[in-house]
Amino acid sequence: MSQNRQYELVYIVAPETGEQEVADLHTQIEQIVQRFQGTVDKTENWGRRKLAYEIGHHKEGVYVVETLTGSGEMVKEIERRLRVADAIIRYLTVRVDEDLRVAQRRHDERKSTQARRRTARGLPPEPQPGERRGDMDEEDDRMEGVEVGR
Amino acid sequence: MSDERSGGRGRGGKKDDKAKAGERPRGGFFRRRRVCKFCADKIDYINYKDVRLLMPFIPERGKIQPRRISGTCAKHQRALQTAISRARQLALIPYVTD
Repeated sequence: MSQNRQYELVYIVAPETGEQEVADLHTQIEQIVQRFQGTVDKTENWGRRKLAYEIGHHKEGVYVVETLTGSGEMVKEIERRLRVADAIIRYLTVRVDEDLRVAQRRHDERKSTQARRRTARGLPPEPQPGERRGDMDEEDDRMEGVEVGR
Repeated sequence: MSDERSGGRGRGGKKDDKAKAGERPRGGFFRRRRVCKFCADKIDYINYKDVRLLMPFIPERGKIQPRRISGTCAKHQRALQTAISRARQLALIPYVTD
C-alpha cells in the first residue's frame, strides 16, 4: 500500500570518480530498487558541476538525479548504502508525489476556470497564440520612466 | 494614469509622509514590484533544483530575501523557503557568502 510513493534522489559523487564507477553506483541503486519491487522512472546525469561551497575538500561534484517509485523501506536501504559509499559526498531524498499532485491539481483548476470564463465571454476555451494579455510589467516600466524624467 | 501624476506632485516629501497618507508607496525611493513572482508566473511547484528560479531571492549575502522586499505571497514564500533549504543542502546555493 505504501509502495507507490515517488521520490527524488539526488546524490553528488566525488569528481575524481571514474565514469564507470558512477555507472556502477547507478546499477547498485537499480538493484536495490528492484529488490523492493520499485521502479526507476528517470535518471539524469548533470555531470560535473561546481559546488556552491566546499564539501570535505571537494570543489566540484558529479550530480545524479533519480526519480524512483517505491516504498519507504526501499529509500531507507538506498540511503544506508549511500552513506557507506566513499565516493558519495552528499545525497538528498525528497518525497515528491504529494507536492506534484497538489501542483497538478492547482494547474488543472486554473485551466478549467480559465476555460469557463473564456466560454462565458464567448471566446474559445484555449487562449490563442496571437492574443494580447494584460501585462503588469509594461505598466511598471512606464511609471519608472516617468519617475526618472522628473 | 492621471491620478498617478497628481500623486507625483507630493513626492519630494519623505517616505513616512506617504505611509501616513495611507496610499500605496508608489514611486518611493525603492519602489519594488509588489506582486508575487510565483503567482504572476503561475508556478505551482517551486523546484529546488532550478537554481535560476531561486537565485533572485538570495541576494549577495546568501540570505533569503524577506517577503516585504520581494513581494512574494505567504504561501509561496513558505514553499520557497523549503526549496532554498534543499538547494543549499545540495550545494547548489551557498549557505553564506562573504
